[in-house]
Amino acid sequence: MAIMISIPAGVVANQESTLNLTENLGNTITQTEASINQTLTQIDCSLTPSFAGFGFGNGNFTRGQFGGGGDFNSGQFGGGFTPSEFGAGPFGGGGTNAMNESLYSDIGSIQGVAAVEPILQVSEGHNVTTERFGRTFTRLMPDYVIEGIPLTSDLVDNYPILPSNITAGRNLQAGDSGVVLLSENNTRFFGAGVGDKIDILGQTFTVIGVHGASGVEDRQTLYMNLSDAQSLTNNVGYITSLEVFADNAADVNNVASSISSLHPELSVNTAQQRLDQLQALQTSYNNALENAEASVGQMQTTAFGEIVVAVAATSLIVFFVMLYTVRERTKEIGTLKAIGFSNGTVMSQFMLEGVLLSLIAGVVGIIIGVVAAPVLSGLLLPPLTQFGGAGTFMRASAFAPSAAITVTPELMLIVLGAAVLLGALGSLYPAWRASRTKPAEAMRYE
Amino acid sequence: MSETVLELEKLSKSYSLGKRDVQALSNLNLHVNKGEFVAIMGPSGSGKTTLLNILGCLDKPTGGKVLLDGVDVGNLSEKELYKIRSSKIGFVFQTFNLLPYLNARENVELPMEGTKKSKSERRRRASELLEMVGLSGREEHRPQRLSAGEQQRVAIARALANDPAIILADEPTGNLDSKNKHEIVRLLADLNINQGTTIIMVTHDSHIASQTERLLFLNDGKITKEKQGFHLAKKKFTCPYCGIKIQLGDAVCPSCKKKL
Repeated sequence: MAIMISIPAGVVANQESTLNLTENLGNTITQTEASINQTLTQIDCSLTPSFAGFGFGNGNFTRGQFGGGGDFNSGQFGGGFTPSEFGAGPFGGGGTNAMNESLYSDIGSIQGVAAVEPILQVSEGHNVTTERFGRTFTRLMPDYVIEGIPLTSDLVDNYPILPSNITAGRNLQAGDSGVVLLSENNTRFFGAGVGDKIDILGQTFTVIGVHGASGVEDRQTLYMNLSDAQSLTNNVGYITSLEVFADNAADVNNVASSISSLHPELSVNTAQQRLDQLQALQTSYNNALENAEASVGQMQTTAFGEIVVAVAATSLIVFFVMLYTVRERTKEIGTLKAIGFSNGTVMSQFMLEGVLLSLIAGVVGIIIGVVAAPVLSGLLLPPLTQFGGAGTFMRASAFAPSAAITVTPELMLIVLGAAVLLGALGSLYPAWRASRTKPAEAMRYE
Repeated sequence: MSETVLELEKLSKSYSLGKRDVQALSNLNLHVNKGEFVAIMGPSGSGKTTLLNILGCLDKPTGGKVLLDGVDVGNLSEKELYKIRSSKIGFVFQTFNLLPYLNARENVELPMEGTKKSKSERRRRASELLEMVGLSGREEHRPQRLSAGEQQRVAIARALANDPAIILADEPTGNLDSKNKHEIVRLLADLNINQGTTIIMVTHDSHIASQTERLLFLNDGKITKEKQGFHLAKKKFTCPYCGIKIQLGDAVCPSCKKKL
């Protein structure tokens, strides 16, 4: 009985958790959209990632394509899709292919180009192994993302290449070297604050400031001088993407066409294109959200139905068990009455037995539920693709905490309360019948 | 003059069996004095158990009066009847009717549940009664670990729990072997003589009945004959091992120390 009640309740609770996750993603999209609107002159250029076709299609979620504000690769989707996990070559990640910086120096001379910002982005993390349903899953948990940006006075002073939200210390400045700008997450990971010296891949850097993330995309990103990042990660002369700034918003499409003509191997995205992609993605998320809501509603209806059936079944079981017990113990009831037990005492004794019986069943049910719930969660939760438009981000969130049914203390109390109530309900009539048994007739019963 | 503890005046009881009325008891008159040991005999269907049920307030008469300690129990409510059963009457059944999931002491404590006695008082009283019926040291035994004779002793101790005015025994020796049969009758006779407990016993066994002081013969719901018995307690006993005179209640011969 307890299991029957706890499982649908657990499903509903976790479905709501999934719904919250989806809503959070929608909020992130909105934040990123706002960020992109501010940089309409910006064009992202990167090589098509080597893992094209997996999950995110053409690498839509890589740092290189979303530039300053558009990195969806770390942490956001519960891991499983991190740059270094899919990275190529000497970079150990980044979500894009390595680009030889010198091959793209001609972009700066294209008409309408105001500035070019070469970027190197490398993720560092550690593998985490989990066991579910008897299978072992390994995924890379990112610790931090190093982003090297050229700290020239032209770029720093005139273009939005640095984080805007500084919460401690100061921002990077033109000419800075040997210093890093940490995110708040980074400060916890390194256990360091402004002015402290930290060790990154064997080299010492001074924390110059702390930036508050503008969205989930840069929560784990630490910024430093491009040349520092290149030498630190043994990638001298290599970058992972380019940010191209047009003279004005009207020239953006022409400049993008010119870059594509000059370097057809590059994936070129304007801010407008990114915005369109994001809007399409947002539509996809909205659809997913609606699906999730519909699914939750359906699950709630199903769960409610199951609970009603469980309650009815439990009451009936207790009812028949107690009725049988009363019949079997008719002579005992007669004896109790003969030795002076009142109707009320007899009735309360049988009611108490019914409640205790149900309570013991509830405790056993909870114990089984605690053991069985994690296994059953995999069977009862709806297919994950139901939430992701094209089997996209939900793949990464497959092992997010929200996907597991847990038997909470509140749920245990509800189950025990229900057990007491149903035990009392089911034994009410049998106990009443026992109390009304005529002692003389009961004594004759064999 | 002896004090009357039970009085029946023109007691009748009839049942409806389909369209037919069956007269189980008809115009019964009876006086039972305090401290009497009465046996009721009669063939099956003569109304013995019906009479005992009415005397024990388990059933109500369809006519006449039942005065228990001067109170007409025929007009009492169900609530008043259970109080009477609890305080004034002790039952001993042929099949003992002990609760199998309770031990001997707990079974004896059971009638005291609704009284004002504290848990420790109930416990002490139960232990005293078990000692009195010769079951000292067997308090923690459940019925299935006791012999039939021992179970009936527990049932007698339970019947005495609330110090009732009258004990109603429905064929208390019916399920016992010869040795236990006599031990139980001896115990009841001992209670009657030494505790002054009024006992009304239904039995089929004429030998057992003859050991009470008053025998009633019931036939077709009427008392057809009444005669004086030879009260067991007044009989002279001798030890079967050494031959010296012994008392009714002696469990061990005071001379040869053998168990009787």
